[in-house]
Amino acid sequence: MTHWKPVYAVLEREVVRMFRQRTRLVSAMVRPLIWLFVIGAGFGTVLQEAGGLSYQHFLVPGVLGMTMLFGAMLAALTMVYDKESGVMRMLVMAPFAHYWIVIAKMLSAALAALLQAVLLVALLAMLRYVDSGTRFALLALALLMTSAACAGIGMLVAAFTRTLDNFAAIMNFVIFPVFFLSGSLYPVNRLPAALKSVALMNPYTYGVDLLKHSVLGALPSGMGADFAISTDVVVLAGFTGAALLIASWRFSRESAYEPMIRILSGKRDA
Amino acid sequence: MNPAPATSLAVNARGLVKRYGDVLAVDGLDLQIPAGQFFGLLGPNGSGKTSTIHMLATLIRPSGGSASVFEHDVMEDAVKTRASIGLVFQESALDRTLSVGENLRFAGLLYNLPVHVIEERSAGLLELFGLADKRHRPVGSLSGGMRRALDIVRGVIHHPRILFLDEPTIGLDLPNRRKIWRFIEDLRARTGMTVLLTTHYLEEADTCDKVAFIRNGKLVSSGTPKEMIARLGRYIVEIESSELETLAKQLAPSLGLCLRDGNVAQFRYADEDLTPIASLQSQYGTHIRALRWRRPNLNDVFLWIAEGKAG
Repeated sequence: MTHWKPVYAVLEREVVRMFRQRTRLVSAMVRPLIWLFVIGAGFGTVLQEAGGLSYQHFLVPGVLGMTMLFGAMLAALTMVYDKESGVMRMLVMAPFAHYWIVIAKMLSAALAALLQAVLLVALLAMLRYVDSGTRFALLALALLMTSAACAGIGMLVAAFTRTLDNFAAIMNFVIFPVFFLSGSLYPVNRLPAALKSVALMNPYTYGVDLLKHSVLGALPSGMGADFAISTDVVVLAGFTGAALLIASWRFSRESAYEPMIRILSGKRDA
Repeated sequence: MNPAPATSLAVNARGLVKRYGDVLAVDGLDLQIPAGQFFGLLGPNGSGKTSTIHMLATLIRPSGGSASVFEHDVMEDAVKTRASIGLVFQESALDRTLSVGENLRFAGLLYNLPVHVIEERSAGLLELFGLADKRHRPVGSLSGGMRRALDIVRGVIHHPRILFLDEPTIGLDLPNRRKIWRFIEDLRARTGMTVLLTTHYLEEADTCDKVAFIRNGKLVSSGTPKEMIARLGRYIVEIESSELETLAKQLAPSLGLCLRDGNVAQFRYADEDLTPIASLQSQYGTHIRALRWRRPNLNDVFLWIAEGKAG
């Protein structure tokens, strides 16, 4: 049995909240631009242009990916916040199996990431960092698949996190490593072997790579994409599916679920 | 909204058990609630009320026994059970960042209701609960009483056959508590909905069709509030004395066990004729500092049961 109306309700709430929380949206736009104009320009002065590509232009796929990673993570982690607020009480009482909550939340995290990325693409187009050389159909695919994969990372973290008290830890041990150990800031193929092998295991790497295919194309200098488009698509789809399954399973388990209900009712002893 | 035949059971729990590690929260509870009844589940803190409600609402799994809600087994058929239940938790189940109307839209969509139905029902229910002009207000800006009222509206937007109210008026002041009860009475009058209530404020359970007291996860006693009170006695006699210990011993043969609270002892008195009581004052003179009697109420039933001196 499908429950698209409840899923739609969760998506609608996410979008309403995203546009209502202006600071969240503004910082989602400002963060990548700071990377692009401050870090990109700064490193650009010490890095050689390779194959006619400035470091700033090289960073464009990376900052697009960053927007989706942060956007999806923050939206997915509201799952943990919702556990402590009223919304999860509405969700757990609703007449559908609880894995639908995971499906709805993952879709809404992906949607939040996608909308932010689309806004950023528009901004970057105005600033001429995204131009007519872009393969737009491929860009659309890359945005979709990367949003979904980032939502998957977020749901996995949410499924294994009890409270948001340690949000800083999630930042340090999940978001930053995922971002830095990918091809966002440098070509994966030029990383030292140890770091490269970690980057190869990072699903987000393939999202950024697909973005590189669409925005940068394959540059002869090795500054472009590192993998084949088909590899990126298969890895992203596989990871997203697996993340959805694992998060759903985690969330359906009694032992993970019961303490939450007891927190919900404000009772720990009865 | 469709009242079931009078014979059908809204809730049927047999030997229900809930264990948390070594703690036995619910210990073989039997509970039958006919459809359409206003049923109060009463008991001290930690007696297992909330655990029972959460098992019936499929939110936690029973460790033993069985339970069904309108013949849907809570373990086998959790989704159908939830569809027939409305639940108002002790803490609010609303999104504070959304408006009143948006919260009801969200809740309604979760129950697969068409948007026009949500709109109609919201309008009617907000009117009934005195929130009609608050539709566009963010929930975070509502007073505690209004939020509670909205929580109940949220709990019945899908027209559940049974409404679970777990301490619905906790933390509210008296005027707001009264308001909430008027709303619930109106709702019952309009829909004939079965209501299962837990509360600490026992005067609120006075209007229940039936109440059950539980202690340590076990059913101790049940009946209509009137029966329960009548079973306790005709009067509660309160005697205040500085020598309560000796006095209580002397009075025990004629008045039985007492509940003690500081210098005051309470006795149950089954007779309508109070002359023997009135004569105690002259009998014991200055040993009795004050002597009063009054009709018992559900609070007394609760206290006597909680102390394990009545059942």
